[in-house]
Amino acid sequence: MSAPAVEISGLNKWFGPHHVLRDVSLGLGAGEKLVLCGPSGSGKSTLIRCIIGLESFQEGSVTLCGRRLDGTAAALRDVRAMSGMVFQSFNLFPHLTVLENLTIGPVHGRGMARAAAAERARELLARVRLSDQAAKYPGQLSGGQAQRVAIARTLMLAPRVLLFDEPTSALDPEMVHEVLEVMEELAAQGQSMIVVTHEMGFARRVADLVVFMDAGEIVEATDPESFFAAPRSPRAAEFVAQISHGD
Amino acid sequence: MSVTSFATPGTGAAPRPAPEAEGRAAGTLRRLFRSPLSGALTLVIALVLVAVAWPLLRWAVIDAVWYAPDPAACRAEGAGACWAVIVEKHRVILFGAFPYEQQWRGAVIVALWLGWALLTAPRLLPLAVRLGGWVVVFLVSLVLMRGGILGLAPVGTDLWGGLPLTFLIFGGTVAGGLPLAVALALGRRSDWPVISFLCAAFVECVRGFPLLVVLFFAALILPLFLPPELTIDKLLRAEIGMIVFFAAYAAEAVRGGLQALPDGQEEAAKALGMSYWLRLRKVVLPQAIAVALPALFNDIIRAFKNTTFFSILGLFDVLGATKAALQDPDWVRYGLEGYLFVFLLYFLICTGLSLYGRSIERDNLRRLRRAGE
Ligand SMILES: Nc1ncnc2c1ncn2[C@@H]1O[C@H](COP(=O)(O)OP(=O)(O)OP(=O)(O)O)[C@@H](O)[C@H]1O
Ligand SMILES: [Mg+2]
Repeated sequence: MSAPAVEISGLNKWFGPHHVLRDVSLGLGAGEKLVLCGPSGSGKSTLIRCIIGLESFQEGSVTLCGRRLDGTAAALRDVRAMSGMVFQSFNLFPHLTVLENLTIGPVHGRGMARAAAAERARELLARVRLSDQAAKYPGQLSGGQAQRVAIARTLMLAPRVLLFDEPTSALDPEMVHEVLEVMEELAAQGQSMIVVTHEMGFARRVADLVVFMDAGEIVEATDPESFFAAPRSPRAAEFVAQISHGD
Repeated sequence: MSVTSFATPGTGAAPRPAPEAEGRAAGTLRRLFRSPLSGALTLVIALVLVAVAWPLLRWAVIDAVWYAPDPAACRAEGAGACWAVIVEKHRVILFGAFPYEQQWRGAVIVALWLGWALLTAPRLLPLAVRLGGWVVVFLVSLVLMRGGILGLAPVGTDLWGGLPLTFLIFGGTVAGGLPLAVALALGRRSDWPVISFLCAAFVECVRGFPLLVVLFFAALILPLFLPPELTIDKLLRAEIGMIVFFAAYAAEAVRGGLQALPDGQEEAAKALGMSYWLRLRKVVLPQAIAVALPALFNDIIRAFKNTTFFSILGLFDVLGATKAALQDPDWVRYGLEGYLFVFLLYFLICTGLSLYGRSIERDNLRRLRRAGE
């Protein structure tokens, strides 16, 4: 068994006086998929942003593929080289074409040859079924297309861990499906990932573990079937009742 | 109660072209003569305009004296504008006190600047070529002005003047001021309180002074504090003053652009593992500067007009040189014509700059706009 993809132990974080992550410990096995859910403000975004070093924290440790975030720039660089993140608001670079959005990091940051980067980019765009959009600017894409470009962009450097922060919540319902489909394909190929989402269907089909957070704490961690069928804590039960309401 | 709202289903008619819109000229004409009163007003205003424009046209064109080796011709009965003064004095106006037989060097500089500006305005060449070209143009201009090498007679900066000097001051201000402005704007947003305080203090102080004070300080007071061995040319000192003044304003424009950038852009670039400088160069600055562009062009155009302040320090830019040329007692009464010429020159250049700025803006907009909008 290889080293866990992500290992978090005793993580505590405060925003000013506000204690937003309380003694969070969790691990992600290599090749496994973890779905993180919980009510708004429970600290899901903050938690996964800590993993990739977009937020600092006061106590505890975060390790990605054996590399511990110890506050040094070198650790940060290594961790970001091994991971990728997809945001709710896509965050594509609007002044660059779709193709340039994919190649800019590897070409300028990693010294990948332009031609090789462009070839890999076209390959990935084909994988997310956007081969015909390479020359467009992000402003000319639909939300679902933009999010698939964002996913392709994070895949350029073959990250060992992918983090998704509500990748479908900014999308119109008819586009949610095309993004989830791409994510499920990735999952089937053995990509390790942590996904913050309220898409129950996706969690059921893909998750190895569902983690429920509330008020900065992990309240429940179990397999999807038992979580959605019979949540143990009253808070989780209330949450499940709420998100299944629309289905 | 019965429902009065209603909707009539369509009959499945084929789509047809939109009815022809009224032409712009026809529309204007219709609005100008909408009612008898409006028509009368239009006629009265048109008459007044003609009454004003006609004498002006006679003075400026029909009765004008275009060429006269002797100012007496301008004093003839019924003579209009004396444009002959410009023909007579154009060398001083354009090149100031630069040695007469060397003034071809100034002409080459003006041709280089205008030529490269026109050539690069359509932005067909890549940015690096355009900028590199400007650096070459600037350096060649400096060599031509100074001389001392390549068999060119040396000319001291105290003799520099006219349009070449205006171009050099302006080019130096923008080239030196923009990087400084970006540095100040970034510094002001720095996480280190000392740096952000220093940058903010610098910007606020410089903005708190009139340009004249900044120039006087740089040209006249600064040398008193410098060690006597360190003599910096007066022109260079004044130029530094210009750069600092320009940068303080442009820094605020750039900062506005930086603030307009959503946090997500930096975060996405970080998550992709891009380093600080790479993020700055490829993600942050291109977007921030695109947003800051209208404000930046405001400052750039102002920097061009501010070159006229140099005449106060005894350095003769175009306006200063014109003023000096018009001291000639033979021609002194035709100052109006001389100044009108210089105003036209400034107006053309500033309008060119402003059109260029707007065309870049349009380019950016077209790229960032969503499809179909
Ligand atoms: N930059 C910040 N400064 C101060 N407080 C913050 C900041 N970011 C988040 N918080 C607070 O931290 C808590 C957790 O926020 P977080 O964004 O992680 O929640 P979340 O579970 O992702 O919620 P949502 O489902 O709405 O995205 C919230 O109470 C929020 O107000
Ligand atoms: Mg969130």
